[in-house]
Amino acid sequence: MWEARGKTAVAGIGFSQLTRTHERPLGQLAIEACRAAIADAGIEPSQIDGLATHPDQPFRGAGNRAGEDLVPAAFLIDHLDIGPEVEWYAQVSAGLIPSAIIEALNALLAGACTYALVWRAMHRPAGTYGAWREPFAGGDSQFTAPYGYTSPFQLHAVAYQRYMHRYGATREEMASLVTNSRANAQRNEAAFFNGTPMSVDDYLAARMISEPICLFDCDIPVEGCAALVLTTAERARDLPRPPAYVAAWGQHTAPRPTYVNYMLDDYMACGASTAGKLWSRSGLGPGDVDAAQLYDGFSPSTYYWLEAAGFCPEGEAHSFVQDGRVALDGELPVNTFGGSLSEGRLHGMGHIAEAARQVSGRAGLRQVEGAEVSVALDGSPLLRGGALLFTREA
Amino acid sequence: MASPGQPDERSPSRPRPVLDGLSRAYWESAGRGELAIQRCEECGHYQHPPRPLCERCASADFGYPAVSGRGVVHSFTTNHQRNVAGFEQAVPYVNLIVELEEQPQLYLLSDLPADEADWVAIGAPVEVAFELIKAAEGEAIALPQFRPAGRG
Repeated sequence: MWEARGKTAVAGIGFSQLTRTHERPLGQLAIEACRAAIADAGIEPSQIDGLATHPDQPFRGAGNRAGEDLVPAAFLIDHLDIGPEVEWYAQVSAGLIPSAIIEALNALLAGACTYALVWRAMHRPAGTYGAWREPFAGGDSQFTAPYGYTSPFQLHAVAYQRYMHRYGATREEMASLVTNSRANAQRNEAAFFNGTPMSVDDYLAARMISEPICLFDCDIPVEGCAALVLTTAERARDLPRPPAYVAAWGQHTAPRPTYVNYMLDDYMACGASTAGKLWSRSGLGPGDVDAAQLYDGFSPSTYYWLEAAGFCPEGEAHSFVQDGRVALDGELPVNTFGGSLSEGRLHGMGHIAEAARQVSGRAGLRQVEGAEVSVALDGSPLLRGGALLFTREA
Repeated sequence: MASPGQPDERSPSRPRPVLDGLSRAYWESAGRGELAIQRCEECGHYQHPPRPLCERCASADFGYPAVSGRGVVHSFTTNHQRNVAGFEQAVPYVNLIVELEEQPQLYLLSDLPADEADWVAIGAPVEVAFELIKAAEGEAIALPQFRPAGRG
């Protein structure tokens, strides 16, 4: 058991508008989300003395202009009223946003800061992005780009094809999961697809991107930011909001078996490595979880997490998600906020914010009654990724 | 083994490989009609793409022996998105992930037009064939591709 279980907490949560237009630069959206999180925590900006983020954008050709393409720590030091009081910051390049949160938690436990602000700002440039435009391919890409194989959705397509073949999964079964997330988004006013329901027929009629991945198996890229204020459990108890205590965190440390591509076996090994740490550190298990926020940058990732974390046996996620089992009133509510598929692509931060909300009883219309334990499992699962487990009680 | 074969007419400007110290043996062998895969001289482990160290024993002593060129389709996808320069006119096209018979989880890629892919299925036996593509210096590079085994 982790000796620091329950000794840190989420004290404040803030979101910017999640949009596909570009009326305001990303830096403004990040400031909006951070100010909202600080206000939500009931503290002053000047009390923030730790900062952490994972600023990178997950697509080819991303720019690097602070405030437009990404929001690094220095940008917020310049633009939030936190000034020279900052004691500490971290800017991680691996492990998605959970690794930044882990850095902040460790800094709090070490006494390096008292209130840490963590944000994830996502840019969505105008037009098509992430495409391969170069005439030459070097490095590992020389073995993939000449075959027209360069995009994350293609990697996911071949793993999902393999999954469907191995276990007899169907697109109709996936429709249950994707439409459940969309239904949940109707209870989340911040969700990009709030107000836009989706039927099973809508899903099945969507255009194919890379078979068997269709348009609605891909998350919806947005411009926007979500932010958290983290602090020690002792301080959190004196703040206005009910704390979401951190029971455990996990990162993936399994050796990678394959290289030219991420394969189904890689996803399962990475997922088991990550989730296993949550259970061993917290003393809790998948059966204790009241609401599961499972990464869905592409929908099949949610299947892999369900299996790798032990919510259902390997090969059975496609049937597990049927019959309302993952609905808000089901046995295991999944992606109660709509997931990245329907809330918007915050690259896992949306999942973490929702897990914190559920255990602190702050999930509004989508609150899972009596939720004591919620998990956020972030990443495809891949080498990059991480997980957090939150509890209502320390 | 097949010799370098037909020029590529459906995606003439597909991205071309930039050869480097680790990859040169692979591409030069392909030009001779051989599929050569990086193999550790210490422990015999094959790996692709080539890497600076053996992933199994951390040796940096490698050979590039010719392999059988035979394998099976591990998985595949049919692409509809015009997402890669040079493939704009090629959609829909199919990517194969081929597992070579020399070692489990030793994977290579291939592509083919969707209307020639009726034979594609997980587990289908395949063998290497070489497609000529334009190279950086204006010369042709032989790109290893995989086609149904036993069809010549």
